[in-house]
Amino acid sequence: MVNQIFYLITVPMVYVAVAWCIVGIVVKVARVAKAPAHPFTLKVFPDKDHPVPSPVWGALSMPTVRRHNPTFWVFLILFHLGIAVLILAHLDLLPWFNIYPEDSEHMIGNGAVGVVVTTAILYFLLRRFASPLREISVPADYLLLFLLFCTAMSGDIISWANSWSENGFVLTKQDFGAYLNGLFHFSWADPAEAIDGGHYVVLVVHVFLANLFLMVLPFSKIMHTFFAIPLNKLRRG
Amino acid sequence: MEAKLKQELIETFGERLTKAAKMYLDNCSRCGLCIEACHAYASSPETRYTAVGRAQNIRRLYEEYFKKGKIAKKLNEAVELDDHWMEKVYETAYTCTGCRRCMTYCPFGIDTGVIQGIAKMLLITADQEPKTLTMLADMSIAKAKTIEKTKENFAAAAKNLEAEVLQRWRSEGGEEVVPLDVQDANVLYVALAGKHSIIPAAAIMNAAKEKWSLSYFEAVNFGAFVGNPAKTKEIAGRIIEEAKRLNIKEVVICECGTAYRVMKHMSGEKPFKVITFAELIARYVEQGRIKLDKSKLPAKVTYHDPCQIARQGGIYEQPRYVLGQLTDNFVEMTPNRQANWCCGGGGGLVAMGEKDFRMKSAKVKADQVKATGAEVLCTACENCHTQLSDLNEHYGLGVKVEYLSDLTAKALVQD
Repeated sequence: MVNQIFYLITVPMVYVAVAWCIVGIVVKVARVAKAPAHPFTLKVFPDKDHPVPSPVWGALSMPTVRRHNPTFWVFLILFHLGIAVLILAHLDLLPWFNIYPEDSEHMIGNGAVGVVVTTAILYFLLRRFASPLREISVPADYLLLFLLFCTAMSGDIISWANSWSENGFVLTKQDFGAYLNGLFHFSWADPAEAIDGGHYVVLVVHVFLANLFLMVLPFSKIMHTFFAIPLNKLRRG
Repeated sequence: MEAKLKQELIETFGERLTKAAKMYLDNCSRCGLCIEACHAYASSPETRYTAVGRAQNIRRLYEEYFKKGKIAKKLNEAVELDDHWMEKVYETAYTCTGCRRCMTYCPFGIDTGVIQGIAKMLLITADQEPKTLTMLADMSIAKAKTIEKTKENFAAAAKNLEAEVLQRWRSEGGEEVVPLDVQDANVLYVALAGKHSIIPAAAIMNAAKEKWSLSYFEAVNFGAFVGNPAKTKEIAGRIIEEAKRLNIKEVVICECGTAYRVMKHMSGEKPFKVITFAELIARYVEQGRIKLDKSKLPAKVTYHDPCQIARQGGIYEQPRYVLGQLTDNFVEMTPNRQANWCCGGGGGLVAMGEKDFRMKSAKVKADQVKATGAEVLCTACENCHTQLSDLNEHYGLGVKVEYLSDLTAKALVQD
C-alpha cells in the first residue's frame, strides 16, 4: 500500500501537478491580458539622483528594497538567485545538461545553495511573526512559506545531508537523474526500483511537497514571477 | 445591506478591474516594505494607515467575489461586503492622500491610488462618499452649463483685480491686465477660485509680455478628489473645450497639483501642451523675460515638493531653479524630491475638513519642516499650502508658508 502511494506521488502526481501548474499559469496570465488597460499612466517620476530603473532590472534587482530595507534585500536576492540555481541544478540532472560532471555525486551547488534558500525562507517566515508585519499577514502567507520551507528542507536532506552517512552518499546525482529522466520520457517506471536506501522516503516527501507547491503556484502570490516585470513597467510608464 | 445594492457594488468593483488593478490585487506579497513609506503611519503607527493595510480592505473583497475556491478564500481572509465592511472601504478611500510615496518603496510598484479608486467608486455607488466633494464637483459641472450667463460677472470680477495686479507689475501699454477670451493666445492660464491664484500669476505673465488669457474655469478637479472618473472627465473637459475654442498653445495650470495631474496625465491626448505655472516661471527666468531681485527674500527658504506635480509629474528642478533666482539662502528638506513626505492634505482631505486626522497623520511632515530651520516654507500647490499652513499653526513651526508664484511676483524687477 505504502509503495503504491509512493508511486502515485513520484510519478502520476508529478504529471498532474506540472500540467495543473502550466494550465493555471496560462489561464491566469490570459485573464490579466484580457482585462482593459488602465485609462491613464501610472508612472512615478524619477529624478536625476534616483532614477527608477528599467522594468527588467527593477524586477530582478529590487532597488527599492535595497534602498529601504537592505537586510531584507540581501535575503530576497539570496533566495531568488538560489531558486534560479536550484532550477538549473534540477535540469542538470537530465542527461543532455552537463553543467556538473555526469559522475559527480553532488547536484549543482553541492547542497549549499539549498541551505541558503532554506535559511532565507526561514527568515521570511519568522519576520512575519513580528509586528507590524504580523498585522497585515494572512494565513495563506504563513502556509505558503511553510510549504516552501518544508520543500526546501526535504531537498536539503536528499541533496546534502544524505552525504553525511558513514558510507558517503545514499542518493547521488545519478539516482535523481535516472528518476527525472524516466519522468521526462514518460516511462512510468517506479523510481523505487532504481533508487533504494533509507533516504528514498525523503525524496518522496520532497516530490510530494514540490507537487503541492506547483499546484498552489497559479493561485498564489508566487505568480509575481510572471508579473513583476509588467508591474515594474507600469511604474516606469 | 440590500441584495440589489450588493450586486451593484460587486459589478462596480468588476468594472474597475483593469490589467493594473488585477495585477496589484493578485501580486502583493505583503512584504510590508510600504508600511514605512506612509506619512500617516510614520506619524501614527497603526497598520490601517499603511498602503498594504488599506489595500487589504479591498483585496479581501476581491478574494471573496472574484476568486474561486473555498479554502483559498479562508486562507486569504476573504470577507463579505456588508455595511460594516463599507466602513473599512471608507477608511481605504479617505485616509490616503494619494501621494503614491508607497509606490517608490514597493518592489512591484503597486499603486495604492488604483486600489483606492476602487474603494471610492464603491462608496459613490453606495451613496456613501463625502457629500462635500460631490457637491463641489457638481458645482464645477453646473458652471460649464451656465457659463455664457456668468461670463459678464466673471469679467467684472477680473477687472476688479487690475489695481492689485498693477501694484505688482505695471501692464504693458494697450494690453489688458487680466485678459479674457484671447484668441490664439500662447497661454491659457487656469487659476483657482480666489484672487491669490490670479494676481501674482497675472503680474508675472504681464512682466514676461506673454500673450495669455485667463480661463473662465477654476482648475481644481473635485471629481478626482471624490474619485468619480465621469465627473473628473467632465470638469477637465470644460477647460479642454475652452482651450480648443481659443486655439491655445499651452494650458498652464496654476499651483494646484491635482488639477495638473488630471489635465496632464489623466485626460488623454490634447491639441495643446499642459504645464505647471512653476515651469512657466522657470522658462521666463531662463529666457530673461523676467528678472528677480534676491534682496526681496532675505529669509532662509525651504521647498515642499507637492506630490501631484513632483512624484506624479516630474516637476522637481524647475521650482528649485526659480528659488535659486529668488534667494541665496535655500535649504533642502530631508528627504526631498521623489522621497519627500506628503503634506497630508491631498486626496480631498483639505476640502473635506478632517483637520484632526490631517494634523495627526502629518506630524512627520511638521518635524521635517522644523528640522530645516527655515523661516519661509515655499510650495507650488494650493492644497499643500492650506495643509502646511494648518500644520504651521498646529505644531507652532513659526514659518511663513508661501506660494512660489507669490514670492516670484514680489521679487519682480521693475526695469
